[in-house]
Amino acid sequence: MKLVILGKGGQGVIFFSRMIAQAAIKRGLSVRSTEIKGMAKKGGTVEIQMKIGEGMSGLVRRGTADMVILLSNDIFDYAKTFGENIFSFNENEVKTALSSVPMRYVNTFLLGVFVKKTGLFECDDFMDLFDEENKKSFIKGCKYVQS
Amino acid sequence: MLTLYLSGNEAIAHGLVQAGVRFITGYPGTPSSEIIPAAQKLVKEKNIKAFIDWAINEKVAFEIAYSVSLTGIKTAVTMKQVGLNVAMDPFMNSAYVGTDGAMVVVSVDDPGPHSSQTEQDSRFFAMTGKVPVLDPSTVQEAYEFAKKAVQLSKRYSIPVMLRSSTRISHGRGDVKVEEDFILEPINATFKILKDWDKKLPRYAATPRQRLMLHGLLNEKIAEIEKLNELRTFFSGDILILSSGAVFSYLYELIEEHGLEDKVTLAKVDMPYPMKKFDFSGYKRVITIEESMPVIELQLCTEGRRNGIVPKQGELTPDVCEEILERIGLIKKGKTISVPPLKRPSLCPGCGHRIALYALKKVFGKKAVYSGDIGCYTLALNFGVTDTVLCMGASVSFGLGIKKAFELSGKNQDVVAIIGDSTFFHTGIPPLIDAVHYRVPFLTVILDNKTVAMTGNQKTLSDHVSSFGEPVTPIVIENVVQGIGVKFIQAVDPYDFNSSIKILKEAKKFLKENKEPAVIIFRHLCVNTKEGLDANPIYNVKILKEVCKGCKVCITEFECPAIFFNEEEGKVDFDKTLCISCGCCVHVCPTKAIVLI
Repeated sequence: MKLVILGKGGQGVIFFSRMIAQAAIKRGLSVRSTEIKGMAKKGGTVEIQMKIGEGMSGLVRRGTADMVILLSNDIFDYAKTFGENIFSFNENEVKTALSSVPMRYVNTFLLGVFVKKTGLFECDDFMDLFDEENKKSFIKGCKYVQS
Repeated sequence: MLTLYLSGNEAIAHGLVQAGVRFITGYPGTPSSEIIPAAQKLVKEKNIKAFIDWAINEKVAFEIAYSVSLTGIKTAVTMKQVGLNVAMDPFMNSAYVGTDGAMVVVSVDDPGPHSSQTEQDSRFFAMTGKVPVLDPSTVQEAYEFAKKAVQLSKRYSIPVMLRSSTRISHGRGDVKVEEDFILEPINATFKILKDWDKKLPRYAATPRQRLMLHGLLNEKIAEIEKLNELRTFFSGDILILSSGAVFSYLYELIEEHGLEDKVTLAKVDMPYPMKKFDFSGYKRVITIEESMPVIELQLCTEGRRNGIVPKQGELTPDVCEEILERIGLIKKGKTISVPPLKRPSLCPGCGHRIALYALKKVFGKKAVYSGDIGCYTLALNFGVTDTVLCMGASVSFGLGIKKAFELSGKNQDVVAIIGDSTFFHTGIPPLIDAVHYRVPFLTVILDNKTVAMTGNQKTLSDHVSSFGEPVTPIVIENVVQGIGVKFIQAVDPYDFNSSIKILKEAKKFLKENKEPAVIIFRHLCVNTKEGLDANPIYNVKILKEVCKGCKVCITEFECPAIFFNEEEGKVDFDKTLCISCGCCVHVCPTKAIVLI
């Protein structure tokens, strides 16, 4: 599976991607990725290209991603260059995340939403990867989708 | 075996420490900066005795690590590719004299370039210096080759380069690592008197002895060359040679396009030194490598020489696909055009921004601003940087351009802009020349007490080492004073009025005295926890009725937290980015931005 994860500096995009990678490794899958985080803190884009269970490099060619996970909707056109299947979070999901967990755990809430909605992984794959606060936030995200 | 999800740089650190390296130094530079912190973390966790910390610049780092290797200890030095330029003098000499313990030179290239001045190829430098070089293609290989480099260096008493690149160093992967670490006591041995007469001609060689050492080096290289075998994959009559990250893209593309019976892909683990191979069984032999023709020149193959491989730019998988099309192997699909992304800016609340804004206000748009390598290069977005060349060049440029104006009888102001770490790195020697030749230009030192651009590594102003041991902080004022600069002022740029006052004083001083002036703008980096915690809070608001929509705060100041609201025709704050530094109140010409 070829994934591209895109967002802005400060959104926890890298953590988001590393959790997906860890969950895949736990399932015995190979993971290769490349992180472009150049000057992300300075308003730049964070871009993670990732191959799970295939390939030798972590790079994903334009137009070949199986899924693009977009955490920042203002770079939608850029995201589309990687592939048509774009997963982004709707306004309600983001609002609920912002209102139900502290700012720094918003990314794990959204990860929970992603896992539950796509079914690419089980929620259980992630449980022992987190500290307590992240875990709580992740579970809230999973439960939000169920409700 | 353990499986860890490591970055290439973490994998390199793991390999080095595991192979017994106990002394690592270097200078930060994207994409190499994470190797030293990763190695520090590892030796702390494993309770291994070692020295792993930053040096003032790459030349010094290289010389320190190299001298330690002469005492029998296994060492490494890390840098980015342009850092190797700074270390070139000791690097070129090191292979002649050779090592005793072991020494790995980690140089990380940045084809693209993503965050560098050049697309130079460290493997070429290795060939120039007669230093064997290993070129990993995956993160797993970064780990394995780091260990291999230590072993090769030890076996042949020669420094060995481990060349990485952005895609390897900032790539990640599941890496299988051994659980055991070599645990041998550190025992530095140097100058044992009974055999010193025999050894001295090597360590302090005269030109005549250098010639002999060169001969010995060539013998070593000939031995190492013999070991250098290709690893081949697939079985076609077109041979493609490759190394580094590009190999992995080609491997994937050959499988994806079903070219297994058309192409033989040969992997070169060690691009220098290479022996000649018999390629007579192949129809064509082509090298696809980043970013200069190192294998191609040694083995006389097709590649860049006949226009198959581009001479600039990163060989991404997309570009590799185009190369395969040029060879006639595939028909590539349509090229996808990529929309540009927003350019980076200094962080909201960055002390550099307000300092350089004040500088522009006093010295005006006509002054020449010679910039340097660091976050503050981004001041070119708002017109306070006119030149960027390499580390430390701002001060040399200040000297040179001012001198040129003087010779021409022109009165144009010149200001050099340099960060604290860059000043220490290579900014001091040109300032000495400037004092010596009495050249009246201003040097602005932006002191945020960290190497911010590369991820906030420690600087020489710190009181404790990375291992918590006390170290002596180096005071910039003392250095500048010691050189003989007479006008030295330090100010927190958040104190805008004082900054303007001092800048005006400096301008006056330069007019009246024929010698350089220095202003130190000191404000902690807001991108560090200490900096952000210590930052004052001044909440601001925009008086919409006063804002004329002139955009001065955007074009002349460029804070990412200020944006233009097209509907209203006025500016607004992005509250998710604003850190309430209050600096923008000094910028608005109509006073529409006010403190709450």
